[in-house]
Amino acid sequence: MNPDTNQQKAATSHKDDKGPWGAVLVCGGGIAGIQASLDLSAAGFRVYLVEESPTIGGSMARLDKTFPTGDCATCIISPKLVECMRDLNIEVLTMADVAGLDGEAGRFHARVQKRPRSVDSAKCTGCGDCWSACPVRNHPELPPEFLPQDELNGDDASRLDGLLSGLEGEPGAMMPVLREINETYRHLPRAILEQIATRWDVRLTEVLRVASFYDQFRLQPVGRHIVEACDGTSCHSRGARAILERLQEVIGVQPGETDPTGRYTLRTVRCLGLCASSPSMRVDGQSFGRVNLDRVPEILEQFK
Amino acid sequence: MNQPIRTIEDLKGVEAAGLTTLYPDRLKIVVGSASCGLAVGAGAIESAAVAVVKELGLDAEVTRTGCIGFCSQEPLLDLFVPNGPRISYGNMTPEKTRSLLTAYAAKGDLRPDMALGWFTSEEHVLTGEAHTYPPPNKALTEVPEWSSLAFYRNQKKVILRNCGSIDPLSISEAVARGAYRGALRAFAEMTPEKVIEEMTKSGLRGRGGAAFPTGQKWQFARSASGDTKYVVCNADEGEPGSYMDRTVLEGDPHAIIEGMLIGAFAVGAREGFIYVRSEYPLAIDTLQTAINEAEKAGLLGDDILGSGWSFRVRIRVGAGAYICGEETALLESIEGHAGEPRSRPPYPVTDGLWGKPTVVNNVKTWASVAPILTRGADWYAAMGTQRTKGTTVFSLEGAVKNAGLVEVPFGFSLREMIYEIGGGIVGDRPLKALQAGGAARGCIPPSMLDLAIDTEDRPGETVMIGTGGIIVLDDGACTADMARHLVGFFLEESCGKCVPCREGLRQLSGIMDRICAGEGHEADLLLLERLAGTMKAAAVCGLGGMAPSAVLATLQHFRAEFEKHIHDKSCPAGVCRGLTM
Repeated sequence: MNPDTNQQKAATSHKDDKGPWGAVLVCGGGIAGIQASLDLSAAGFRVYLVEESPTIGGSMARLDKTFPTGDCATCIISPKLVECMRDLNIEVLTMADVAGLDGEAGRFHARVQKRPRSVDSAKCTGCGDCWSACPVRNHPELPPEFLPQDELNGDDASRLDGLLSGLEGEPGAMMPVLREINETYRHLPRAILEQIATRWDVRLTEVLRVASFYDQFRLQPVGRHIVEACDGTSCHSRGARAILERLQEVIGVQPGETDPTGRYTLRTVRCLGLCASSPSMRVDGQSFGRVNLDRVPEILEQFK
Repeated sequence: MNQPIRTIEDLKGVEAAGLTTLYPDRLKIVVGSASCGLAVGAGAIESAAVAVVKELGLDAEVTRTGCIGFCSQEPLLDLFVPNGPRISYGNMTPEKTRSLLTAYAAKGDLRPDMALGWFTSEEHVLTGEAHTYPPPNKALTEVPEWSSLAFYRNQKKVILRNCGSIDPLSISEAVARGAYRGALRAFAEMTPEKVIEEMTKSGLRGRGGAAFPTGQKWQFARSASGDTKYVVCNADEGEPGSYMDRTVLEGDPHAIIEGMLIGAFAVGAREGFIYVRSEYPLAIDTLQTAINEAEKAGLLGDDILGSGWSFRVRIRVGAGAYICGEETALLESIEGHAGEPRSRPPYPVTDGLWGKPTVVNNVKTWASVAPILTRGADWYAAMGTQRTKGTTVFSLEGAVKNAGLVEVPFGFSLREMIYEIGGGIVGDRPLKALQAGGAARGCIPPSMLDLAIDTEDRPGETVMIGTGGIIVLDDGACTADMARHLVGFFLEESCGKCVPCREGLRQLSGIMDRICAGEGHEADLLLLERLAGTMKAAAVCGLGGMAPSAVLATLQHFRAEFEKHIHDKSCPAGVCRGLTM
């Protein structure tokens, strides 16, 4: 590769001339930049259109519809793209950055730095085959929250191995796996969900979608004991609200929260199926029917 | 059990073993240990019984059974006395258990003062036979006979046939009461077409709420193309106020396994799934044990009953999503996805699990299959109404004296249900409303008490109690508060996929909160109705379409109470805070 192509400088300055110069530099090849270039060209200016990505078009080229009219985005931008490329007064500089600007209004000197394109642009037909084959650039750039964050430690890794191999060949194993992890760790640790996505070769968002849909899957750690107050219709008609308020008062938290000592997590559930023994509640899977206000602290005390 | 069951003789062998443990020669102490019993202290009763038996050196065994349905009397303890009847004791405590067993050990005293009732005989619904107990001694005659108790007199047990009578973990006790005879008959004597014909003739309809004819559903799945087919049991009983499915799962798991086995044979399925909600841990454990037992006995697995047919059942456990009770959402969840409903058609009978033909039936429907095959379609069709044959289970609860599970034929009236079986309202207060048949049905007024229970609403004649939960509200309840509560439930359970449901429920809930806080406007009721109409018309799935009915139905019957909240800023029942002082 010619080292020159790495540091090629596009000369857009004309130092010898004294008067105002009839050229304009437009930064950014989105719909605004394209339209500006076309208008300037029509007004008789020479235009340098600088764009940092490999092509002009920007966000609008990727959209289906435009707000607020709902018009077809491609239908608006495509003719302008073609026009822009054909216009003899417009020079399109892609994969380029404006490196420096000096001078004064009417006589700016701009320095534009082009990045290597790694293909011979005279021969390029834009088929895109090189793009998918490129070992360096072909990494989709995921936002950080979708990237694996933690490595699994040895114990977790071997536990996950055991769990996954035990369910090999099981159809629709996602729910059993998540359920098992949710029970073992009392929540779904992020690192493990990431590992599942990697091992099953599915997108992490798919795993997260299932994990976040179900009420019993917890994405945050919980207290040592999970206190569930039933808010089913039968319990509601038999004083469930008072029981919940008593629980809030004794534990000192709102539903969905964990007390500062990490002893209890309080939550409400819709119907434990103990409707003839209402009002009911449950701690760590152990059910209590016909609960009254005095029994609440007594029940909680059993769970240290 | 070492030998797999192949013939009626093999089954008879298991039956004999089961009968000896069902009706043993020595004292048997049975504790009702379903979730409802355990929640009110059955565990402590059992420990007390075990301790006393050991202390006194009694020749007795202590075992467990499921829920017999009389939940307001829990915890229940039953004595099977050698050469005597079965006697039931309600509202037990460890102290009462101790004094009962001590009295019995000392002088054979059965403490009639504590007894709830005694059994003259036990009907084995599947065989049509009965086990008759020897008559009791004189002292017991003052105690009512079990079958004459108001709570049981008019009940007809088919789905709950074995609940509260067998040890749910013992396959031989289930067989002793006739389990797997229907499966044997299907495999040995019938073709799949014949089985479906029998189901159609019986008039059985789905018990999950929609009441689709079961035989027809099976026929669709059978005629659908493809070699791989599935049967699924919907045990995601998320409807607040109903718990009969849990009782069957915990008390008689083989009823479901046998039903699914017959269904699989009829439609041509090799694999079955039971989707249980995670709130029912005991049901999941009981079911898994039952599946293992059935596999050992050759009733699940390969070459079932010597027919060469193979069928396996797996349990899938939910994770707390009400919408998964909807059949297509349930299938999504089994496949390992978020439980969002699919649009129908295509229906699961042609495009179900992994796109294959799938029969999804409710727990109660599956439990009704075996009796139809053992006793015959005519026997079954003799019960019920013109439209809907057979029996179904209701959970009667709230402000009623006898709360529990009630199984009656269709056509039964709500009044009999509440005032005879239920024994009336607690404290003999006036009945205000019923929240019956699922959250979306809102509140039913007492004027509808004389309607017959069926699977459709015919004004002036029948009332539909879809999922079977009946919550009795006395005059201490506020229907506006109830409507607010029900909307709050749907708001929490909405998946958020479509705007009419997601946003509509938020607004409905806001309006109800406002009315119950005494900040309602004149125009709110009109707004409620308009909003509900839009939601009904525009929501993607049944949840969004049905949810506004919770308010609309309640508003239709109890408009005056809503208006009092708005105009007079008062809550007549004294429930809504801020309006009571």
